[in-house]
Amino acid sequence: MKQVLHIFAKDTRRFWPEILISLAITAAFVRIYPNQWQGMEAMGLGAGVGAVSGSILHFLANALVGLVPAGWWLLISRVIHGERLVGHTQFWLTRPYEWKNLLTAKLLFLLAFLYLPLFIAQCLLLVTAGFHPLAYLPGLLYNLLLITGIIVLPLVALSAVTSSFAKMTLVLLGAALLALLIAGIAALTTYMPSHTTGSVASPVGDRLSLALVLCGCGAVVVLQYALRKTTRSWLLLIAIPVLLCTLAIGDPDQALMNRTYPIPVSSAAAPVQFQYVPDQIQQAITDTTHDSNELEINIPLRVSGVADGTVVIPEAVKVAIDAPDGSHWDSPWQAIYNQRLLSSTDVSHAEFRVGRAIYDKFKSAPVALRLTFALTLAKAEAPTQVPLPATDFSVPKFGVCTPQSSWLQFPGEFTSVNCKAALRQPKLTFVNLHWSSTRCSAAQSDPATGMLGAAWAGSFDIDPAEFGITSVWQIPLYFSNNWEGYRKGSGPAPRHICAGSPMTFTQYSVTGRTQTDLTLQDFHLPGLAIGDQYLLMMK
Amino acid sequence: MNPAVGTHNLSKQFGRTVAVDGLNLAVPEGAIYAMVGANGAGKTTIIKMLMNIYPPTAGRAEVLGIDSRKLAGEAFARIGYVSENQEMPDWMTAGAMLDYYRPFYPTWDRALEQQLIRQFDLPLDRKLKHLSRGMKMKAAFASSLAYRPSLIVLDEPFSGLDPLVRDELIEGLIERAPETTIFLSSHDLAEIETFSSHVGYLEQGRLLFSEEMSVLGNRFREVTVTLDSPSPLPENLPLTWLQPQTADCVFRFVHSGFNEESSPRELAERFPAARDISCDPMPLRSIFLAVAKTGRDHASAYDQAKAKGDAA
Repeated sequence: MKQVLHIFAKDTRRFWPEILISLAITAAFVRIYPNQWQGMEAMGLGAGVGAVSGSILHFLANALVGLVPAGWWLLISRVIHGERLVGHTQFWLTRPYEWKNLLTAKLLFLLAFLYLPLFIAQCLLLVTAGFHPLAYLPGLLYNLLLITGIIVLPLVALSAVTSSFAKMTLVLLGAALLALLIAGIAALTTYMPSHTTGSVASPVGDRLSLALVLCGCGAVVVLQYALRKTTRSWLLLIAIPVLLCTLAIGDPDQALMNRTYPIPVSSAAAPVQFQYVPDQIQQAITDTTHDSNELEINIPLRVSGVADGTVVIPEAVKVAIDAPDGSHWDSPWQAIYNQRLLSSTDVSHAEFRVGRAIYDKFKSAPVALRLTFALTLAKAEAPTQVPLPATDFSVPKFGVCTPQSSWLQFPGEFTSVNCKAALRQPKLTFVNLHWSSTRCSAAQSDPATGMLGAAWAGSFDIDPAEFGITSVWQIPLYFSNNWEGYRKGSGPAPRHICAGSPMTFTQYSVTGRTQTDLTLQDFHLPGLAIGDQYLLMMK
Repeated sequence: MNPAVGTHNLSKQFGRTVAVDGLNLAVPEGAIYAMVGANGAGKTTIIKMLMNIYPPTAGRAEVLGIDSRKLAGEAFARIGYVSENQEMPDWMTAGAMLDYYRPFYPTWDRALEQQLIRQFDLPLDRKLKHLSRGMKMKAAFASSLAYRPSLIVLDEPFSGLDPLVRDELIEGLIERAPETTIFLSSHDLAEIETFSSHVGYLEQGRLLFSEEMSVLGNRFREVTVTLDSPSPLPENLPLTWLQPQTADCVFRFVHSGFNEESSPRELAERFPAARDISCDPMPLRSIFLAVAKTGRDHASAYDQAKAKGDAA
């Protein structure tokens, strides 16, 4: 331990400018970032000189999110290269340095000048946002683990196999260019269709990736400190992104879908029923995508059977097509975004991608189309109702919310509500309140009259934190409104949220996961939209 | 007694280049062993293998009884290493460097440190990066001698230094010699001749010989045979006779296996008509030049002959 402290003290004396730079960036981040939480209007983005200073603050707040890791990059590189591991002429190689002590000293340095300031910064941000840091200690520590896996450990590993900051920077730039090149090639070729990556939520894949980076980079660091076998360490380091790509393409969550979303026993009633009843307005359509080799088919559905007090969330869809000539095609699971079916929901849609060649093969004759939905079922907890205050207010288990005024600043009148949550999005929550079609300053008999606006926020993730330099997540609540109806002339567009309007937060807890099928017999794959046919003709 | 440094068929290859080829070496404790050879002969590679900076391709080495591949950490508290190519913590002052190194060594002698600072006239408050090469070397010596290491390993320590600095460093080294083993590499024969007890000669990665300086001095003689009349170069000369040449009535060669008792008699028997036979001791430089010019074949032959002689 004596040697560890001795090396640590030497590094602290030597790298005080780098430490100072990193601390200054972190301090500026803590000071400026909370400006992000205020609405654009409150930041002075409305007009005039205030708009300029507001934009600068907004830009700075965003820039600091990137500058904080940049400061770590410098700090990590300098301290690791202080006793560099690459080469044969370093002063410390023939001194009584124990590699474990050297590594511990470097980790202690990072603990003191990277993790501790970051931890304090994240606590200060929580306090500024109205949260008590001690209540979120597991989340804070978990976020530090994520930061370690995603930023710190890869930078430490890269420093361990390079000899200087300049060389490390060149390697990073080279890696970024290579990643761009690979992404470009993947986008331009059919080798890696878009639905093969990120097709479904991938909790297993994400955890495996994090474990791979943590173990891989950790192994590189230990191997390099213990043996200084740079070539071997480089090979191991290069293997990590290769394995990550393999994992992304292999998508283990695809294989686990039947386990995550069990196929129901036949007697069990489906939590939701889907029906395809085409009419003049609701028609299935086929559309192009950014990938010229893929098309997107959208099938409108009628929804029924969702029990009161529950929500059914279609998470993914899998498609099977059978043609009369016996040909068959199965799609992989494809993600469904932002569909939450309540007992009051009566329409929805299924959207899936299909290769152009598959589409061309099946489009000429009626087919049997089987849609299998992966569903998450959740039950409503006791709702929390608060009359909308004029200032910040706290919603238990959700966060701290702030009504946002328009830049004209009518007292007691708001246009939206911005919420903040500690370390992660809150549990899936349904929020509603009343829009008023009259000015709030007008005499109101009942603030609960008007149109009911609804918004969803949060997720079912169970991790105590999401990866972030900041410890405070913003949750802008975009309430549904009657803008569509207003445009079509079917009614006024209410635009005011008044103080005192009752606001209801209903959180949902997962009760189960399952699958349900919908088979459409004699289904004709819809023709391409006219605009797309024109584009095809032009090609 | 275990040698301070021992190697067994130690070899190192860089790609297809053989830098060190089957080195067998034993440096006794207390010796001042000088490894000499031309630039590129493999001296630095051997030292880097001994210090576990390079792993050997084959064979093994032991340093202070420890397998060189396991030499790390605490073991270096007994070894002082100075190399012309070694980096130093340039951002530190000479004083800060000594302060920094001190706690690493349980045997660090503050009095000796002060003595070395005075002896080398070290400017403690100047950063190492601002010191001259000679001054840097002095700082490196001070930081490697102050803990009274059991073994001092020096890789071309005097290369490029002015004679004054070189003498100061040699003096500092000699003062430590009674309590330590010194292993150094050099291509400057004159500088090592004055204080080395043992010497090894390396050529193209192979050790041509390795022995005590006194033994080496005794077995090499420049032999001059003066004959009555001019005669051609005799045939079937022993392999231990290096660089034979004749000029008029004089036949000269370097005897690499000279024996004070038997060699004069053998020479007299070989040259019965000789008017005079003189056997003059040779300086180290002449010995190495003779060996280098003759090449490794003769030296190998000598080794074989010597081995036979030893066995007999």
